[in-house]
Amino acid sequence: MKKTSLIFGVLVLMLALASPAFAGEAQNRLKIGVDKVLAILSDPSMKGPRKHQEREHKLRAVADSFFDWRELSRRSVGANWTKFTVAQQNEFVGLFSELLEKTYVRKLEKFNNEKIEYLREQVSGDQAFINTQVLMKDKKVPLNYVMIKHRDWMVYDVVIEGVSLVKNYRSQFTKILSRETPDVLMQRIKAKIKALDEGKNVDDAVVK
Amino acid sequence: MNVRLMNSASRMGRLIGAAALASLLFASVGFAADQEPAPGTAGNTSAPLLAANEPVAPAVAAPQASTVGSGLLAYGDDDIWDENGQIIKKGDHPNMSVADDVAATSDPLEGWNRMWFTFNDKLYFWALKPVATGYSYVIPERPRLWVHNFFHNLLFPVRFTSLMFQAKFDAAAVETSRFIGNTVFGLGGLGDMTSDLKPFHPIGNTEQDMGLTLGYWGMGNGFYLVWPFIGPSTGRDTLGYAGDWFLTPTSYLNPWYWSVAAKSYDKVNEVSLRLGDYETLKDAAVDPYEAVRDAYLRLRFKKLSE
Repeated sequence: MKKTSLIFGVLVLMLALASPAFAGEAQNRLKIGVDKVLAILSDPSMKGPRKHQEREHKLRAVADSFFDWRELSRRSVGANWTKFTVAQQNEFVGLFSELLEKTYVRKLEKFNNEKIEYLREQVSGDQAFINTQVLMKDKKVPLNYVMIKHRDWMVYDVVIEGVSLVKNYRSQFTKILSRETPDVLMQRIKAKIKALDEGKNVDDAVVK
Repeated sequence: MNVRLMNSASRMGRLIGAAALASLLFASVGFAADQEPAPGTAGNTSAPLLAANEPVAPAVAAPQASTVGSGLLAYGDDDIWDENGQIIKKGDHPNMSVADDVAATSDPLEGWNRMWFTFNDKLYFWALKPVATGYSYVIPERPRLWVHNFFHNLLFPVRFTSLMFQAKFDAAAVETSRFIGNTVFGLGGLGDMTSDLKPFHPIGNTEQDMGLTLGYWGMGNGFYLVWPFIGPSTGRDTLGYAGDWFLTPTSYLNPWYWSVAAKSYDKVNEVSLRLGDYETLKDAAVDPYEAVRDAYLRLRFKKLSE
């Protein structure tokens, strides 16, 4: 009797200690995505400027399977989304995701094995909010993810230091769409992508 | 000769400071009073100005004036959490965080602000960035972090005074002991010896300035403002910046060009540690001015609410 209660006690204790490891579905899926990105970035065979194309290609494939670009685009455009025809919406999702991948994948290249901590996960219905932080050389940067579940849990917003990606774009798009048509907005995004491809305004000097 | 020049320069600086202070106090308090409680007033104040600037789209602000910044609400928006993961309380603005309200701070001087934004942008790419890049090639990162620590330690009066004015006496005491510890044991502040020492109970964010102090006591942002060299600001933060200036030891270096040199060096050092951040934001933005504006307002709000 004494023995069984001891075993039971130990089991309870083990469960209590291990519980942080049993994070929810959403956080687990986010972690898989982040770990995949980290694996690509720290892969020694993928390093160097010659592998840049291949690395970017792989990173974008991971991003595509973990970001809900349609949800992200719809929310970034906000109330003006109804002004877009279905064809325009589809084109916009493609263009906007390309712009984001081009710019933020480049940013990832400078990632220097900083430690990522998962702080908190909240789930409400088909949405989830996950607080993480990145330990930088001289400070901690809070990095939060908002996820939605259509089929799988997908990220649709990233909040860095209190600045939401979706809301930051919403303020830009709202301003532009108050004066211009959706087509003009898409022209501007196309021009931006073209400029990025040609290396204009791009910080090429990677200083560590 | 030298002394006279110095005197006149400092007198002029003081005069300009006082004038700017007075005018901004007046302006931002007026705007803040408009903006705080009543939904719609902020929208209304900006509406005529917006209409004057943009004859093409006067309808932008007009129909939405009844709810502040409702243009920020997305189609079918069902935000459950705000930026920090706090559940948004349903109330006057359903599914809209306080940060959204703050980010809707009016921008009546948009044309003027855009001009200085472009100026600062060119300043960064043509002067600051090349210098900081060269500097970071010559000086390794660790000494640059020492320099960062040194200037941060030197700004102790700003943090201490702000915390005192916010009646956060325990946080002010912790800052004081950090300052003494870093100055004595960190070779005058080069080393951040105290960063690993945790206070006994949470004291909140001690990275305070006078702009945040004014915000702590309920002063609104007023309106958005971009300054040459300084960058994005608001009516309130400009007032705070003037206060910070008087609390910054390097402001009192004699002659004045040493003060400018010290502050410029601090700036170059800071930029050298953050190369690429601004570029990412700018590259990703479709309208960089608007992206920086939104980011600045939300970042300041986050600091204020910590």
